[in-house]
Amino acid sequence: MAADDTQLLARLLAGEQKAFKELVTTYQSAMRAVAYAIVGQRHVEEVVQDAWLSVVRHIGSFEGRSSLKTWLLTITANSAKGRYRLNRREVLLDDLPSPHGTIDDDRFSPGDGHWLVAPFAWHQDTPEALLTESELRECLEHTLLSLSELQSSVLLLRERQGLELEEICNLLEISLSNVRVLLHRARLKVFATVEHFEETGEC
Amino acid sequence: MLTCKEQVARSSDYLDGQLSFREKLMVRHHLLFCPNCRRFIRQMRLMQATLRAMPERPSDDVDELAARLAAQRRDDSP
Repeated sequence: MAADDTQLLARLLAGEQKAFKELVTTYQSAMRAVAYAIVGQRHVEEVVQDAWLSVVRHIGSFEGRSSLKTWLLTITANSAKGRYRLNRREVLLDDLPSPHGTIDDDRFSPGDGHWLVAPFAWHQDTPEALLTESELRECLEHTLLSLSELQSSVLLLRERQGLELEEICNLLEISLSNVRVLLHRARLKVFATVEHFEETGEC
Repeated sequence: MLTCKEQVARSSDYLDGQLSFREKLMVRHHLLFCPNCRRFIRQMRLMQATLRAMPERPSDDVDELAARLAAQRRDDSP
């Protein structure tokens, strides 16, 4: 077990409130993303609540064979799967339109596959500089909300939570090739949003 | 040599280390000669970092939840 997991675990076992606060603050977003992918927006909160109760009930028997994070996310996935599930087949094929489109075939010459409209050079070259524009932040939120539940969860679990693709496959029970497709489509849409904003200055 | 369109189609796999050795070399080779695609990949990385850096939406019930969970744990433990 990682050293900080071990320390936190000892405090959790002792029932220390601050330790639980740390746990919730660190992992709740990732747990929400897992639940969102499996049960959809409407049932996220109940699944996460269930998962927390289950975490407390079983923390005494956590043996550290995985990281605390993986353990929490597995509990969340299990508690989500015990409930109403989205129709997976439908959802997997879903590629909803995004506010600023994507980088699609129209961007390339049908003949030689070169860029017809080259990527626009963004004005900013750090995330901090990009995010100082509050309008871009809102614009990104808007695009994330336009993605299918599965697409947006996979993107958040990968980019914000740093999960490996295999972990995402296991938690959400989807194949590696599907995770790759979902991730790629989601990224291109977010890319198109930033590009649109950088080019026009508006959302 | 890959076309730009083919390079873009492989870009996520390239960034995630999912390409075979041969395909990775093909992408690298394309990037070496194509400034547009270099810009695309650079900006894809910037987009990834931007998503990572976006502020968390604040969750207001953390203290209450933590208190409830801690109390539950103290009740459960012998």
